[in-house]
Amino acid sequence: MITINVNGHQQTLDVPPDMPLLWVLRDVLDLTGTKFGCGSNLCGACTVHKDGKAVRSCQVSIGDAAGANITTIEGLGAAGEHPVQAAWIKEQVPACGYCQSGQIMNAAAFLAANPDPEDEEIVRAMEGNLCRCSQYVRIQKAIKTAAETMKTGGAATNG
Amino acid sequence: MGNQFEAPALGRRGFIASVLATGAVGFGWGVMPGAGRPALAASNASFSPVNLIEIGADGIVTVNVTKSEMGQHVGTAFAQIVCEELEAPWGAMRIKHVDSDPQWGLMVTGGSWSINWTFDALSRAGAAGRTSLIAAAAKTWGVAADTLSASEGKVSGGGKSISFSELVASGAVSGAWTADDLKKLTLKKPASYKIIGKSVQALDIPLKVNGTAKYGIDFKLAGMLYGKIILPPTRNGATAKSVDDSAAKAIPGFVKALSLKDPSGSFTGLVVSVAETYWAAMRGAALVKVDWDAGPNAKVDDAALAAEAKRLQADPSEGATWVREGDAGAALAKAGKVITAEYTTGLNLHAPMEPTNATAEFKDGVWHLHGGNQFQTMSVPLVAKALEVDPSKVVLHQYWLGGGFGRRLLGDYFIPAALATKALGRPVKVVYSRTDDMRLDCARSPSWQKLSGAVADGKVAALTHDVACGWPTNNVAPALLGDDLDKKNKVDVFAINGADVWYTFPNHHVRLLDNKLAEATVPPGYLRSVAPGFTVWALESFVDELAHAANVDPVAFRLAHLDGAGKNDVGAQRLAAVLRQAVARSGYSSKKLPEGTAFGVAISQGQERAAATFTACVAEVTVNKKTGKFGINKLTVVYDVGTAISPDGVISQMESATLWGLSLALYETTTIRDGAIVAANFDGYTPTRMSQVPPMDMSYIATGVFPTGTGEPATTVVAPAIGNAIAMASGARVRALPITPAHVKAAMA
Repeated sequence: MITINVNGHQQTLDVPPDMPLLWVLRDVLDLTGTKFGCGSNLCGACTVHKDGKAVRSCQVSIGDAAGANITTIEGLGAAGEHPVQAAWIKEQVPACGYCQSGQIMNAAAFLAANPDPEDEEIVRAMEGNLCRCSQYVRIQKAIKTAAETMKTGGAATNG
Repeated sequence: MGNQFEAPALGRRGFIASVLATGAVGFGWGVMPGAGRPALAASNASFSPVNLIEIGADGIVTVNVTKSEMGQHVGTAFAQIVCEELEAPWGAMRIKHVDSDPQWGLMVTGGSWSINWTFDALSRAGAAGRTSLIAAAAKTWGVAADTLSASEGKVSGGGKSISFSELVASGAVSGAWTADDLKKLTLKKPASYKIIGKSVQALDIPLKVNGTAKYGIDFKLAGMLYGKIILPPTRNGATAKSVDDSAAKAIPGFVKALSLKDPSGSFTGLVVSVAETYWAAMRGAALVKVDWDAGPNAKVDDAALAAEAKRLQADPSEGATWVREGDAGAALAKAGKVITAEYTTGLNLHAPMEPTNATAEFKDGVWHLHGGNQFQTMSVPLVAKALEVDPSKVVLHQYWLGGGFGRRLLGDYFIPAALATKALGRPVKVVYSRTDDMRLDCARSPSWQKLSGAVADGKVAALTHDVACGWPTNNVAPALLGDDLDKKNKVDVFAINGADVWYTFPNHHVRLLDNKLAEATVPPGYLRSVAPGFTVWALESFVDELAHAANVDPVAFRLAHLDGAGKNDVGAQRLAAVLRQAVARSGYSSKKLPEGTAFGVAISQGQERAAATFTACVAEVTVNKKTGKFGINKLTVVYDVGTAISPDGVISQMESATLWGLSLALYETTTIRDGAIVAANFDGYTPTRMSQVPPMDMSYIATGVFPTGTGEPATTVVAPAIGNAIAMASGARVRALPITPAHVKAAMA
């Protein structure tokens, strides 16, 4: 039995300890907002927060996540009210949308650590998140919009 | 191109629909959704003038979206078009992406056709709804309908007003609209548009930022099993001689490895590891031992495919004639100097972010397949063939698509789930790993193009263009092959579109050659921008080569050939207009550039002449002549979209299509080795990432004529514009995609 906290809920799970967190979230806990893209730390679609830091959930075994606080897109701001989510709507970022949970989770953790980023820092932070629809111009713009909102009081609650 | 203000003739849509409806695939799909279909019975719960829309007693208007949603926000555009004529408030509009059903007519999402093909039908659906609502109010009040008008969800006149919802709830609204009735409706003129032309927020976006949007891969059934494909050693032709899953039985949750026969022929050897969880299916798959016969393509590589292409090009008896103006052969024979060049593109993968997947379920005699799809009209009969059932017993349930790009036009990825479900009697969801997705892709065939031309008096005297490639339509929908000019040979228009330009060339010959070895090795599919993704690369690069030979500026050279003579009337002028706008916005004529920096231009019709989106690109590029390294300073792209439904939606699609073009131009390719696709993940196949995005300037012309598509056109022009800029900046003419610094350096030597 492995215990983790997902989006504020304590979960005790009977799963093999080497099962990736990604598949636990998707197939066991039905949190399908976290997406499978490459399984090899190459695309960022499965990004979640582990104790506040962005991790690729395909690379973290559930055994290694035991005892951790995990935040998924469903827990970032369920109504889409997190400043990063709000900025994603304002700038009309998603196209197909499949990579966007990972993009948003990566951006939210990045902004929590670096609230006033330079353009190059944004690019460096987001380089591992592939968007096949190439909505990169909008992602960059939305991260700046979110940073602006968070500076002026729209505080982010970052799991 | 006829009247630019009216719906285009049925053209390609009519051809596809008629072929698919008349027995070629044995399924009764009509041309048009909505038109002529019986309306649902009037009730006081809802009113449906045609099946495309439903107006509820709560005032909510639901648009049944027959196109797949893969990033274009096409549903939002549909809702805007209906809303405009219906006069509903925007906040009342909802979209519903429908499952496969013959009532929807031809179901295909591709070719940048969606808006161009549906604008008229959706406008008329909205107008029919408004007309019926006004008629109901007129009857209720005992006044003439022409004294009333509708706006913002209300019918008003003579000092009275009633909401759509009240009218529907009263049961007074009725009207069955036939195709003829619909045709008689008068539609709005662009000057009175209220919601068309507004950048509304896309209706699918909120769901896509909070994790609630359900893609095919997110579908789950109680008690279902999970399947993982075990890759054969070659892309096509391998068979499984024996399967031993004894070692995999040690994995908790592993069920068994299935060796499946596919009567559709999509898979020659299909082995699926099945388990209680996907994780167990993956672990089990790694332990299953399959004795494969690699099949007839086991020795095929890129060189073998290229050799076959050259053989075809050298044989004048081969191929289908696509364009014949004047006598290009005779003109070249007389020309003083003939320039010949060979252009290539490599194997390109779709690699949508959502790996291909599907879930199957058999319930009450009907097969239910769950997964996003772009071509239900073909995918349903394909799955039915694999299951050996009548197509009427197969339903495809639609979801958000985590990228399409043409991958989901071919429904082969439903088959592993369908056959596994049939074998086990339990629902199975098969998810391709990224490696499965890449190595089983219906990849875009490599292309080999040979062009010869001559110039005289600053213009093109003659041009021949031979295109050899694997034909996607032979693999995806053979019934849709057309006839060549001589009605002697079949032609795949989706392997040659784009070579039929709006330039006036006195002598022009285009021939399409079918590389069967390429088709057998990697059965090809349609990839975003389809044929113009490679024909325009070769043609627009070669036009620059001819401009240089004629010693004329490439922009002036193009404009000189866009004279709008004969069949090129209207289109050539619209193409010239986008080129002029791109030139003006980029600074092509005014900006002083340093040594090693230059502009390159390219233009195209987007996909096909009958649904053209006129497109121009100017690339500003700096080349290091010592190393061959180059940087893209800026891409300026201009479309002529006729009418923009959502301006921000157009710009979003332009950005996406431009960067897909950049990705194909500079970063994406893989190879074929021993009959297999080499790339296995995003380390070996490397689409554009954020750091590679250059400054971009996107703009469009919208004069209020009939709308055209936006999802693909820019993809066609980026590579030739960059190649032309590199040649202008450094003298290095690169003729193979993707363009790399090594290619540039080699071309300078």
